[in-house]
Amino acid sequence: MSSASVIVSSRTAAQNAAVVTEFFDRYRAHDVDGMVDLCTINADFSYPPFEVWGKQRVLRGDGKVGTVGKPIWTGLINAFPNLSNVVHSVDANDEGDVVVQVDIGGTQQQPWGLVLPAGKTFSEPHIFIFRLNSDGLIESVTGYWNNAGISQQLGHMEVD
Amino acid sequence: MNSRSPQKVVSDFLDDFAGRDIDGALGNTAEDINVNVYGLGRHDTGRGIIRTVLADIVEAFPDLIVTVKRIITAGNVVTTVINVQGTQAAPYAGAINQEKHVDLDEVWRFVVAEDRITQIDAYWCQQQLYRRLGVKRFDQIAIV
Repeated sequence: MSSASVIVSSRTAAQNAAVVTEFFDRYRAHDVDGMVDLCTINADFSYPPFEVWGKQRVLRGDGKVGTVGKPIWTGLINAFPNLSNVVHSVDANDEGDVVVQVDIGGTQQQPWGLVLPAGKTFSEPHIFIFRLNSDGLIESVTGYWNNAGISQQLGHMEVD
Repeated sequence: MNSRSPQKVVSDFLDDFAGRDIDGALGNTAEDINVNVYGLGRHDTGRGIIRTVLADIVEAFPDLIVTVKRIITAGNVVTTVINVQGTQAAPYAGAINQEKHVDLDEVWRFVVAEDRITQIDAYWCQQQLYRRLGVKRFDQIAIV
């Protein structure tokens, strides 16, 4: 067995799950800096459903936690000041993978993308896939959800 | 009796789905499977619901290509990131056929027990799907 594999396997599934549980605790507390602190400095970020279609370009939720993820999380909390989450399942393995089923929701007070605020509330099931390194830091975050559900709950009927 | 690993059960299911073999895919599921397809708002128990979900996709996109991009196994839970591609040839989820091409990343989470899939939670963005199918409004899906 290589030394690298010994290092990777030194963290247990339970330890990996605890890091991600803490991530959602901080998200619920609107502690975005704390969320970022749980990630590596160059952590990858991907929200495939996040697409804002402009006339000349498409803004996508792909990049790094520091440059794309943090602004999205901060923007969401600004638009939905009571943004919260309810974690339903956390499945982790010893290799650093953690999968989370979580409902995220809140009441809109500011514009979000092309959705203007109407004071409406949404709650939508999400699934997140995290990859943690051997130090217990998140090195990638990927999230999937049905944006149509959010738009319709907020009263925004245009597909965009 | 040889029992397959949870990952093998899920791989067999997805291989059958990719091969448009609905009966084969269902053979990997428990009779009382619990199914949640969030993009379609479908939540039900039993093979009938997953048969309908798979058959509707295969019928609407007969040139379907399902590519498994990532498989994560944690005990008896297997999470897959898949890419689904196809050209619309029949109405789907209320959207009329405009022969648009769809290329969509999705996550399907499976729970496996005793060689059978007992739960499927499928996540995709219906807004992305409708956008690619040329739908303009959620309250007028059949109008383009």
